[in-house]
Amino acid sequence: MNVPLLEIRKLAKRFPARQGREPPPWVIQDLSFSVREGEFLTIIGPSGAGKSTLLNMIAQIDVASSGEILFEGNKIGCADPKEMRPGLNRRIGYVTQDDNLLPWRTTIDNVLFPLEVQGRLDDKSRAHAETLIAAVGLKGYEKYYPHELSGGMRKRTTLIRTLVYDPPIILMDEPFGAVDAQTRMQLQEDLLRLWSLGRKTIVFVTHDITEAILLGDRTLVLSRQPARIQSEHAIPIPRPRSVKSFLTLPGFAELYERIRSEVL
Amino acid sequence: MTTVERVSDFVEREPLVSKKTLVTVGRILLAVLLLLAWQWGAVAFGSIFFAYPVDVVKRLWELAASGEMFVDIGATMRVSCIGFVLGGVSGALLPFALRRSKRWTEAIEPYILGSQGIPKYALAPWLILWFGIGDTPKLVIVTLMVFYIPFVNVFAGIRGVDQRLVRMARIMGASETRISREVVWNSLLPFVFTSLKVSFPRAVSACIVGEFLVSTEGVGHYIEHARELSDTVGVFAGIVVATTLVLVINALVNSLERRALAWRPVDREMEI
Amino acid sequence: MARWRTHLDRAMVAIVILAIWQVAGMTLGVYWVSTPWLTISRFFVTLFNGELIRQSSYTVEEAFLGAVIGGVPAVVLPFVLRRSPVMVAILDPFMVGGYGAPKLALAPLFILWFGIGTESKIALVASVLFFIVYFSTLSGVRSLDTKLVQMAKLMGASEQQVARKIVFPLAVPHIFAGFRIGLPYAIGAAVIAELISSNRGLGYLVQVGAMNFDTTQCFVAILAATLIIHAVGYSVDAFEAILLRWRPPETAATGGN
Repeated sequence: MNVPLLEIRKLAKRFPARQGREPPPWVIQDLSFSVREGEFLTIIGPSGAGKSTLLNMIAQIDVASSGEILFEGNKIGCADPKEMRPGLNRRIGYVTQDDNLLPWRTTIDNVLFPLEVQGRLDDKSRAHAETLIAAVGLKGYEKYYPHELSGGMRKRTTLIRTLVYDPPIILMDEPFGAVDAQTRMQLQEDLLRLWSLGRKTIVFVTHDITEAILLGDRTLVLSRQPARIQSEHAIPIPRPRSVKSFLTLPGFAELYERIRSEVL
Repeated sequence: MTTVERVSDFVEREPLVSKKTLVTVGRILLAVLLLLAWQWGAVAFGSIFFAYPVDVVKRLWELAASGEMFVDIGATMRVSCIGFVLGGVSGALLPFALRRSKRWTEAIEPYILGSQGIPKYALAPWLILWFGIGDTPKLVIVTLMVFYIPFVNVFAGIRGVDQRLVRMARIMGASETRISREVVWNSLLPFVFTSLKVSFPRAVSACIVGEFLVSTEGVGHYIEHARELSDTVGVFAGIVVATTLVLVINALVNSLERRALAWRPVDREMEI
Repeated sequence: MARWRTHLDRAMVAIVILAIWQVAGMTLGVYWVSTPWLTISRFFVTLFNGELIRQSSYTVEEAFLGAVIGGVPAVVLPFVLRRSPVMVAILDPFMVGGYGAPKLALAPLFILWFGIGTESKIALVASVLFFIVYFSTLSGVRSLDTKLVQMAKLMGASEQQVARKIVFPLAVPHIFAGFRIGLPYAIGAAVIAELISSNRGLGYLVQVGAMNFDTTQCFVAILAATLIIHAVGYSVDAFEAILLRWRPPETAATGGN
C-alpha cells in the first residue's frame, strides 16, 4: 500500500478573529508531512507551539483554516465547527495529556467505556480488555476507582482504553508529561511493548528530545510559531529498544546532539 | 490532486438576533403567558379557587390606599427585625464564646446541631399557651430560625481558621484575645456577612408563616384570615404582598452587600 | 485523646438539661413545660400502641410524595434544557423568584384549593422541593468538565450517550446535595401545613395537644418530628456515601483529573 495512512498538506491554522478586530497571528502555517501505516512517528516541539492544535485538527475536534488533511487517501475535515466528527467515527484514537478517566467508573469499566459507547461490548471484546489490563500490569486492580490508583496506573488505564477499540491510527499528546522520571520510563517501556504486539500507527507529540528518539521510527521537529516542519530525522536505532539504558543505544548520542542543536 | 483549496477563515458569524434580545423577549413572553394562564385559571376554575387578576389588583390598590397594607407590613417587619437582631447576634457571637473552651464546645455541640432538626414552627401552639397571641411567640420562632444560620456558618468557619493562621500567630507570640479579635474575626467576616445576608429575608418569611399560626396582625395574618373567610381575592392579594416583600428585601440586601464589599476587601467568593 | 471524657461531658450536659426540665415541670406545673418523664413515657406508649406511628406515617407520606412530585421534574428539567442556554436564561429570573419567594406562605392557598386533606400538604412540599432541587441539579449539569465530554465524543459517543454516561454521573453529587437539604425540609414543611389546618399527622397532634392544654402531647409530636427529620438526613448521607464511593476523599467531585 503506497498511499500514506495520514497526509497533511500545507496545513494552516489561526484562531478566529473577534468581531471587528484584527485576526490573530498564524499558529500553524504551511505544515506538511505524511505518516506511513505501522509507523511510530514522533514530533518534537516546544510547549505552546501548536502541537495540541495540530493533533486536535487531525482528530477532527478543531477546524483547519486552510490546507488539507488526508486520511486513508480521503480528504477529511471541514470548514464549519458544527459539522466536525470527533475521532472520525472511531478511526482516530487520541490520548491526551490529562487522564480524562471517568472518576465514577472502576478501571475495568473505564477500559470498557469506548466499547460500551460503540455498542461493541461482548465476550470477545471483554476478554481483549482483560488481556490488555494484564499486559500493562494492572491485573488485580480492575475494581479500583481512579482516585485509588497512582498516576502511572491511571496513565496505563488511559492508554489501554484507547487501544481496546483498535483505531487504525492513534494520536498522543505528551501523555507522559505529568509523571515522574521513573514512572515515565516504565510507561515508555509499556508503550513500546504494546505497540510491538500490534504495530499500530502512532503520532506521538512531545517536547522531550530523548523521548522522541527513544520511541519513534522517525521524528519531525516543529518550529516556533507559526509552526512548520523544520526538519526530519530518521531514527535507525534497531528494535527492540531498551528504554532504561537509552544512553547506550547505538547512534542515540549523535542523533540527540544533532536535534538539540537545531532546537535550542 | 495538487491544487490546494483555501478553506475560508472561520469568522464568528453575527447572528440574526442577538442572544440578549432573544432572552429578554422570551422572558416577557413567559411573563405574559403566566398572566394569561392565571386569567384562564380564574375563568376555568371559578373565582373561589382563582381570583381574577383584575380583582386582585383592585384589592391591592384599596389596601394600599387605606393604609391597611402598610400597617400589616409594619407589624411583620417589626417582629422580623427584632428577631433578626436577636438571632443574628447570638448566632454569630456564640461560636466565639465557645472558642474559649474546647471542652464546652465538644460537650454541647451535638445538642445545638441536634436541636436544629426541631421544626420550630411546631413550637408555636405551645408558645401560645405561654404567651398568648401576640408578638412574643412569633418573635421566639423568628429568633430561633435566624439563630442557626450564622451559628452553623461561623462555627464551621472557626474550625477552618484555627488550624493554620492561629498556630502561626501563636508562634509569633500573640495573646489569645488578640488572636480571637484579629485573626479569627477577620477570617470569619465573610461568613458572618453572608449568613446575615441570607437570614434576613428568611426572618421575614419565617415571621409571615408564624403569623399564619398565631397572630392578629401582619401580612401572614391577613392571608390566613382571608382564607378562613374564603376571601380568595384577599388570599391572592396577601400572597402577592408577601412574595413581593421578601423578594424586594432579598434584592435590597444583595445590593447592600455589593456596596459594603466595595470598600472592604472581603472575599466575594463566599456564598452559602 | 480523652474521647471518653467528651462522652462523659455530653452525658453530663444531657443530665443537667433533663434535671432542670424535670424540676421546672414539677414546680411550674405540667401544663407549662411538661416533664421529661411524662414526655418520654407518653412517647413510648403512643409508639407501641401504634398511634404515633400512624400519625407520623401520614406526615412522612405527605413529605415523600411531595418530594417526588416536586423533585423529579426539578431533576429532569436541567437535563432537558442543557442544550439550550437561551431557555435556561429565559427561565432564570422566574426560577430565582420562585426560589426566593416564601413557598410556605402559599400554604393557605393550597389549603383553599385542595382542602385540609393530604393533597394540600403534598402540593406545598412539592413546591418547596422543586426550586431547591432545580438549582442544585442545574449547577450540577453546568459543572461540566468539557474535556470528559470531548473524550467521550472522540470515542464515538452520541449526544444522548454523553448525557447519560457523562453529564448525569457528574451531576449526581449535586442532585444529592439538593435532596440532602430538601428532604428534611420537606418533613418540616408537611408539619407546618398540618399545623395550619389538618385532621391528621404530627402537626395535627401538636395543635390538638395545645387545644387540650396537653403540653405533653405537643412535645411528643415535636420529638417524633425531630427524630424523623434527623433520620432522613442520616439516611440520605448514608445512601450518598455508598453511591459516591468513587469520590476522592477530601475534595468534592470535579470530574477528570
